[in-house]
Amino acid sequence: MAIDRRSFLLGTIAFVGSAPLGRAFAAGASEVAFVSAARRAGGDFCVLLLRADGTVVREVPLSGRGHDIAIHRLSGRVAVFARRPGTFAVAFDLRSATPPHIITASEGRHYYGHGAFSGDGRLLYASENDIEGERGVIGIYDVARNYKKIGEHSSYGVGPHEILLLADGKTLAVGNGGLDTVPDAGRVNLNLDSMEPSLALVDAASGKLIAKHAMTGDLKSLSIRHVTEDAAGLIWFGGQWEGAPSETPQIVGSAGRDRELRLIAPPASGAPDLRGYIGSMAVSADGRIIAASAPKAGHILYVDSQTAKVISQSALKDVCGIAPEGVEDFAASNGFGVVRYETPRASIISEVELRDIAFDNHLRRVV
Amino acid sequence: MTLQQTAKIALSILALLAHAAVSEAAEPPSHTAIVQAAIEKHVIPHIDALKEAAAQLPGAVASMCRTGSAAAKEDLSSRFRNVVKAYAGIDFLRFGPMLEGGRRERLSFWPDPRGFVGRQLRLILLNKDEAVVQPGAIAKQSVAVQGLSALEGLMTDKEFPLGPGEALRYRCELAEAIAANIVSVADEISDGWEKPGGWKDKMLHPGADNDTYKSPEESAGEFVKALLVGLSLTADLQLKPQVKPGVKLVPPFQKSGLQKAFYASSVESLRSLYDALDLEDYLAPDKDWIKNWTGGAWRAIESSDGVGGRARRAPRNDAPPLREVFDKMNGLRKLVIGEMSVAAGLTVGFNELDGD
Repeated sequence: MAIDRRSFLLGTIAFVGSAPLGRAFAAGASEVAFVSAARRAGGDFCVLLLRADGTVVREVPLSGRGHDIAIHRLSGRVAVFARRPGTFAVAFDLRSATPPHIITASEGRHYYGHGAFSGDGRLLYASENDIEGERGVIGIYDVARNYKKIGEHSSYGVGPHEILLLADGKTLAVGNGGLDTVPDAGRVNLNLDSMEPSLALVDAASGKLIAKHAMTGDLKSLSIRHVTEDAAGLIWFGGQWEGAPSETPQIVGSAGRDRELRLIAPPASGAPDLRGYIGSMAVSADGRIIAASAPKAGHILYVDSQTAKVISQSALKDVCGIAPEGVEDFAASNGFGVVRYETPRASIISEVELRDIAFDNHLRRVV
Repeated sequence: MTLQQTAKIALSILALLAHAAVSEAAEPPSHTAIVQAAIEKHVIPHIDALKEAAAQLPGAVASMCRTGSAAAKEDLSSRFRNVVKAYAGIDFLRFGPMLEGGRRERLSFWPDPRGFVGRQLRLILLNKDEAVVQPGAIAKQSVAVQGLSALEGLMTDKEFPLGPGEALRYRCELAEAIAANIVSVADEISDGWEKPGGWKDKMLHPGADNDTYKSPEESAGEFVKALLVGLSLTADLQLKPQVKPGVKLVPPFQKSGLQKAFYASSVESLRSLYDALDLEDYLAPDKDWIKNWTGGAWRAIESSDGVGGRARRAPRNDAPPLREVFDKMNGLRKLVIGEMSVAAGLTVGFNELDGD
């Protein structure tokens, strides 16, 4: 099937209109390949469920800008979180068009745009800010009780961003950005000179800290934002450099339960500057290739997880969403409505552009 | 008049008419010209203004500490005001030399919803560590106590106003150290832009060998982003707390009564950059409504004093409601993103403007 689709789109740029809401609801969930938050040309925000060819199966409207999407593939549950410092999340079922659940952050908390379902799909975890306490927490929501908040774990840092349930089904990897923000002051970072970013591994059931890898010394300004896990169980992160641009280090790296943080080897000279920001991370279906998107630079960096060396860099303006495709290829989306399939050697397989759509930071593969 | 002469005159008239037509349909500026105009008409004058205003600060602080007189106080307030106004003019140029070494936060630590400036200042004043006030040492302290926000705290402390005497000695030494640091940071920013091979040269000479800007489009795009950042910051941090219930944020330099001055300088600088970029020139004739709309939007923005009243040299006769000013500023931002930058070939992506 993948070959058919590629053959259809190979070497072409197809311009397609996105399906209107009413028709979309009639489509089957089995068609859904990707989910992404997006903005319509008129300025409205939504979540789009997309077919593999980029056309829209279904659209769920949002009251504000969304960010990432947590998916529990077995049950078909999906939750999209408001972008920092938003206070809403919307949960719905991929397989039916029943009205979505609106989840609201509890008093004194806001979301950071990310979350993850537990392995059995009964709980939803969300990265949250304890605004008054100046600390990060992992909110725990009971799916069966209409996503009622039933508790919190510490994130063991400030400004938790992406949360990832690791392959063991028991451990949450949390990228603690280290940046303190207060919603009234918008998105302004308040503690740039005292930030303490870290990657925390937290036991999902007990909330106990399993391991914490902190950025120190020259790297203390590298805010850890996005994470993914490779086939060997290493956690790969993409960061946002908050220090002097002239001192920007490599901003992609990895760590393990018992292995300290390591940054990737610098790519060959002349490689494009990533502008100090990775917007999304993904791992290939075979778990060997890491993809990191850099929207400010308009590049995707492909890294061999076994050697920690850069394989290639592809160029796509405003690219941010990135998701696995096939065995080792990837799908990428950008703010101009483009969904592109490409190989980790930066060879374009196909590209489709949706009119009047701007895809937000994250593109998630459903199946 | 011969037939030949008549023909010559007719041809001359035709040539004149043709020339006039060409002049009216002026070509929009190239991306290189945009960068040049933004640097020469906006960046350098505003950076120079900050450098010049900052240079006056240490003397005024020293005079205040030496005499404690009303005249010295007035002089210090006036010079402080000038630096705050000049800073507001470059606050949104958050790239290049402003980003290096946390210079922006070192100059002004606002917004400060956690009250870091007060907390850090109290700590320093409690410990009275002589090492902190040695030349250059304040630059190693928290950014919250290095700049204008901390100096404002010391200048407006009614219980311990700056002046002569042993009881105020440490405060004064701290104030003088902060003033010197402000000069130093302003000089660094100016140097970063203007020195040979500095940021000005980097933006004016994009290319394959340039580590930041590979094309004139990228250099010009940086200024479009700066304009958008400035419009967002002014709308969200200065206006929104006044128009949206529940948003609580202390206005900039409120203790020294400079909220209006800060707004006026922000707007003046944004308008100056907007004009320098000339993005409206790229709009197709059928988009004339945008020019009309932006004209009205700027009139509303410039007629407001930023707190609900009418600006001094307001182009409008009334005081535009803050809600209207807020909406117009956001509308302007949307038109720059959705229409003008697109027409200019400087499209700003949905994801690249602000990382998360």
